[in-house]
Amino acid sequence: MLAITALIFATAFYVSNYFNNQRVADVRNTEDSISTDILSLETQFDLLTEHSCGNIAENTILPSELTSLGSELSYLEAQGSSNQVEVGRLKSLYSVLEIKDYLLMQQLAVRCNLKPVFILYFYSNKGDCADCEKQGYALTSLTETYPQLRVYSFDYNLQVGALQTLISIDDVEDHPPALVINDKLYYGFKSVDDIQKILPQLATLQKSATSTAATSTKK
Amino acid sequence: MLATMTTYVFLFISLFFEVFLLVVFLERRMAGGTTPSPATRTSALPSVCIVVPCFNEAHTLEATVHSLLALHYPADKIQIAIIDDGSTDDTLKIARGFESDARVKVFHKENGGKHTAMNLALAHTQAQFIGCLDADSIVAPDALMQVVPIFDNPKIAAVTPGIHVREQKNMLQRMQHVEYRLSIFNRFMLAAIGSVFITPGPFSFFRASVVRELGGWRYAHSTEDMEMALRIQLAGHLIANQPQAIVHTSTPRTLRGLFRQRVRWTYGWLRNAIDYRFMLGNGRFGDLGLLVLPSAILSIAAGIYFFLRILWNIGTSIAHALVSIESGSGIPHIGFNAFYLPTSALWFIVFASVLLILALISAGSLIGTHSRRPPASTPLFLLFYSFLVPLWLIAAVVRATFKTGVRWR
Repeated sequence: MLAITALIFATAFYVSNYFNNQRVADVRNTEDSISTDILSLETQFDLLTEHSCGNIAENTILPSELTSLGSELSYLEAQGSSNQVEVGRLKSLYSVLEIKDYLLMQQLAVRCNLKPVFILYFYSNKGDCADCEKQGYALTSLTETYPQLRVYSFDYNLQVGALQTLISIDDVEDHPPALVINDKLYYGFKSVDDIQKILPQLATLQKSATSTAATSTKK
Repeated sequence: MLATMTTYVFLFISLFFEVFLLVVFLERRMAGGTTPSPATRTSALPSVCIVVPCFNEAHTLEATVHSLLALHYPADKIQIAIIDDGSTDDTLKIARGFESDARVKVFHKENGGKHTAMNLALAHTQAQFIGCLDADSIVAPDALMQVVPIFDNPKIAAVTPGIHVREQKNMLQRMQHVEYRLSIFNRFMLAAIGSVFITPGPFSFFRASVVRELGGWRYAHSTEDMEMALRIQLAGHLIANQPQAIVHTSTPRTLRGLFRQRVRWTYGWLRNAIDYRFMLGNGRFGDLGLLVLPSAILSIAAGIYFFLRILWNIGTSIAHALVSIESGSGIPHIGFNAFYLPTSALWFIVFASVLLILALISAGSLIGTHSRRPPASTPLFLLFYSFLVPLWLIAAVVRATFKTGVRWR
C-alpha cells in the first residue's frame, strides 16, 4: 500500500515537473526569439543607410511581448518550482534583453524621429518593498491602456552586470519602487493618475480598444 | 516551506488510507468476499430485543415501529421496547397505541439520555441479542434475518447494518446520500480488518451477555455508540458488518441541523478518543490501534488544515485585488492563458485523491446496492461537501478542547 501511495506521489511530481519544464522551455524559446529579433534590429540599424526608418520601426519588438514574457517569468519564479536556477538564468537574460531593447529604441528615436514612451521600473522581491506589488498593478494597467508604452521592469537585486550598470548610470538608490520617467527618477508608489500627469506624452499614444488582462509587471 | 511540507504529509496519509482500504477491498473481491450475499439460517432463531429510544419523536415514531412490526421474524422471538425518555410531546401516547401488539413493550422514564434508555431495556429483557433503532429510522423487512446469522460466530459481539438515507428532498440530503454510500464502504472494510469503532444507532445489534459483561451503555459524551464499540474492541470481541441489513435513516434537512448533528458526533468521537487514547498507536489492537484510529484523528486535523489553507489562499487573492484597486488600476482581470494553468504536484495528488474517493463511493454502492454506479449527486458531494465538513470539525475541536459538552437537540 505504501509503495502504491509513493508511486502516485512520484507520478504526480514527475508530471508536474514535466509541465514546469515545458513552461521554462516556452519562456526560453520566447527569449531566443526576442534575442534574435533584437539582433536583427541592431543589424538593420547598422545598415540604416540602406533601409528606411519605416521598415525598422515595423520590426521593433512589441512592448506586449516583453510584458507577457515578464509576467510568465514572474509566475515561474513565484511557483518556486524545482528548476529555479534555470528560471533565474532566464530572468537575467530577460533583463539584458530589456536593456538592449531600451537602448535600441532610444537610438531609433533619435535617428528615425520616433517618439517612443519609456518607463524604467525598479522593484525588489526581497520583501523590503511594500508598494512594489501595487506599483506593478498600476504599470500593468497603463500598458494595457496604452499598448505602445514601453515599461521595462528590473529586479533591483538581480546581479547582472548590465543591469547594475544601468542602475548606477541612472543613480537609482536601493529604495524601491523606483521609476525613471523622461530621465527623471521617482521613488515611492505612483498611481496611474500620477504617472499620467508625469508623462503627458501618454496622451499621444493610441489607447487599446479594451483594457485587458492585468498581469503584474513585478518580476 | 513548512506549510508545503505539512500539506504533502497530510495528503500522503489521506491517500495512503484510501489506497489501503481500496486494496483490501480488491483483494477480498478477488477472493470473492466483498459482495455480501443474503444471510441464511437453518438452526433455531434466537430471541432478540429491539430498543427504540425516544425523546420527542412523535412525528417519526409510528413509521419506525411499523417497520419493526413488519420484520420477518417469529413473533415469539422478538420484543420491541419503546423507551419514552421523558418526551414532552405525544411520543408516549403514540407508543401506547402499539401496546396491543404482544411484541411491543412501552416504558416511560425521566429524561436521562439514550444510554439510560438502552440500559433500561437491557435490564428488562432476557433476549440473547439486543439492538437499537433510532426513532427516525425504518428497517427493511428482512434486515433482522440478515443480522442474526452473523452472530453464529461466537467471537462476534456486535453487528452493524447498511445505513441509507431515508429521504433526499434537497441538495444537502442528496450530498448526505453520497456520504452514506461512502460510509457503507468504510464500515464494511473496517469490519473486514477488525477495526470498527462505531456501532451506529440505527439497527446495530449486540450480544446481550457481552453488553452486560461490559457494564451496559455509558453516557460517553453523547456518543454511546462510539464508546460501546471501543469498549467491545478493548475487551477483545469482534464487530461485524452486514450491509444487506438495510436501514433507512432520516438525515438533517438544514445546514444548521446537519452542523449540530456532526458537531455532536465529532465532539463525541474526539472526547472518546481522548478517553481511550491508550489504544492509539497500540499494536495490541492491530489495524485499529496502528492505522484506523490514528488516521481518524489525523483526518480531522487534515480537514481543518486544508480548509484553513483554502481560506488563506482566498484571503490572499482578495488582498491582491484590494492592492490592485488601491493602485488605481481596478480589479485584476482574470483571463484564460494555458501557461498559467496550475500544474503543481499538489493538484495532481488532489486529483488522484478525488478519483480514489469516487472509486470508494462506487465500491460503497456495489456493497450496499449491488450496483457500481455512484449516486447521481456524487459531483455535488465532491465539489461542496468537503467545504462543509471543516465547519463542524473546527467547532467540535474547539468544544472538545474546552470540554463544553454537546446537546442532542
